[in-house]
Amino acid sequence: MRLPALLLGPALLVNLAIFIAPMANLAALSFHEARPSGGVGPGPTLATWASIAEDEYYIELVTGSIGVALGVTVLTLLAGYPLALFIHRAAPRWRNLLMVACISPLLVSAVVRTYGWMVILGDTGLVAAVLRFLGMAKPPRMVFNLTGVVIALVEILMPTMILCLLAGFGRLNASLEEAAASLGAPRWRVFMRVVLPLSLPGVLLGCLLAFVLTVSSFITPKLLGGGRVILLATEIYDQAIVTLNWPVAAALSVLSLAVFGLALLLYGRLLRMVEA
Amino acid sequence: MAGTALVLEGLTKRYGALAPAVDALSLTVQPGEFIGLLGPSGCGKTTTLRMIGGLIEASGGRVLVDGRDVTALPPHRRDMGIVFQNYALFPHMDVAGNVAFGLEMRGMKRGEIAAKVQAALDLVRLGHLAKRRPKELSGGQQQRVALARALVIEPSVLLLDEPLSNLDAKLREEMRAEIQDIQRRLGITTIFVTHDQAEALAMCDRIAVMAQGRIAQLGTPHDIYEHPASEFVADFVGRSNRIAGHAADGRITIGDLAIDAPAPVAPGPVTVMIRPHRIAFTAGGAGWNEVRGSVRRVTYVGDVLACEIAAGGAAFLVEQPTRPGAPPPETGTEVRIAWRVADTLVFPRESA
Repeated sequence: MRLPALLLGPALLVNLAIFIAPMANLAALSFHEARPSGGVGPGPTLATWASIAEDEYYIELVTGSIGVALGVTVLTLLAGYPLALFIHRAAPRWRNLLMVACISPLLVSAVVRTYGWMVILGDTGLVAAVLRFLGMAKPPRMVFNLTGVVIALVEILMPTMILCLLAGFGRLNASLEEAAASLGAPRWRVFMRVVLPLSLPGVLLGCLLAFVLTVSSFITPKLLGGGRVILLATEIYDQAIVTLNWPVAAALSVLSLAVFGLALLLYGRLLRMVEA
Repeated sequence: MAGTALVLEGLTKRYGALAPAVDALSLTVQPGEFIGLLGPSGCGKTTTLRMIGGLIEASGGRVLVDGRDVTALPPHRRDMGIVFQNYALFPHMDVAGNVAFGLEMRGMKRGEIAAKVQAALDLVRLGHLAKRRPKELSGGQQQRVALARALVIEPSVLLLDEPLSNLDAKLREEMRAEIQDIQRRLGITTIFVTHDQAEALAMCDRIAVMAQGRIAQLGTPHDIYEHPASEFVADFVGRSNRIAGHAADGRITIGDLAIDAPAPVAPGPVTVMIRPHRIAFTAGGAGWNEVRGSVRRVTYVGDVLACEIAAGGAAFLVEQPTRPGAPPPETGTEVRIAWRVADTLVFPRESA
């Protein structure tokens, strides 16, 4: 073996020991059965997988989680795209400042930001107060339900989305838009035919990350969902820590991993299409 | 195709409190005319072009196309074809898609578009590359696609923004001739922005030499070269000897030399300019200025012989085609040089 390959060795070993091995262990655990006491029975058996496949609750959990993640992804894209485009077009001396302003929320942990949203969206919070002031007798509930979780997740994911969009806007430049306009395209057609197609690599990357981060989000749905919003990650936590059903937690973990894999596969396919 | 008349009236562009980038520029372009906007960077030529195309808003003045005021129209309603310096081809479309774009925007039918795209690509000799992506083309080919894309919409005016500056020297000369041919054949009114005086002289019907947002001189290439209106124009277009002198009693003194000017000159400090290739190693006669000097430097480049002659405390650069049997003069020898009085350009010196 040559030296460069050998140099990969240490990193490979560390990865095998602390990443691949536990994953394999986790996958193996899903082929055991849970005992009522919280212990793990002997394996291998398909009983845990069979119980998940037969239980409508889990099927709804998986499809529901994917649905929520898709919704959050689309909303994050819609909220982030105009901002990213604005930053991309800003004069160079403003661009860095705007970037920092956009990314600075990442300096605050998701826990703190979630608590912030609980205060803002709460029954006596800012949004409710404004709505009451505007004459709404009974403002809609926005905490401890899906609405609050979605609002907070969109805000928390926006910096990531904007970074991805900016990274993917490389082929966009002002003279292309000018050329399209000079050829007779009004602004919306310039956007549809030139700006949007050329920004698709960034859109895909941003959507992939927003989707994966939503499916695996735990703190925000846990705190803002108030136990009523159950997504894959929160259910895995409940199964592993509260119910002590490790095999089911393991199986759900493998399922969410499969969802990520599919998302990645789809991303690769679409990217090749838009960059062709 | 009958060309379109283009008129600029007092066109102005100001950025904040700075001196205007384009300062009340007026220009009348005849139908089918090929006009060059020539000047150094920052003279306002590209700003002028972009105002004509509607890519930037004018701070003042009007743009008239066939008498119609288009100043307030957005670019997509101006019906002008623009070729950008970086070509600005759409990277996500193939060559045919790029050329078809403008026709699609006009809501033309598919069959008609295909025929027009093919004709436009044949015009620029790229019919065989319709399915290629822009990044798979050479610089010259990209340039031709950009030209085809701008021409296929049959625009009223063609705007060329330094279209040749990204090409290598040999290709540039080819494209020069090609653009000129196409322009003549279509008879399309064309504005051509360039900082390259040779390009402007070779291609344009008339040239507007620009400086500091104004037209310093407007004229045919011959006018501009032979009768420059100012020291700036003489210096920017072609190469010149630039010698400080003093006008008095109808003659001009340069150190201990005295020469004639082609027209009466007001007394005072002047700049004398003479094209190097108009000075010859001959004795003068009537209608000639003759000077004696010593050869300071000889540069032999095969087809041209360049000599620097010191005379009257000034340096005269002389350029002559080389001839068989005429060896170059030796450094240090005394020579006589002469040029026609008519070739003597004299300008009053602004800051003596």
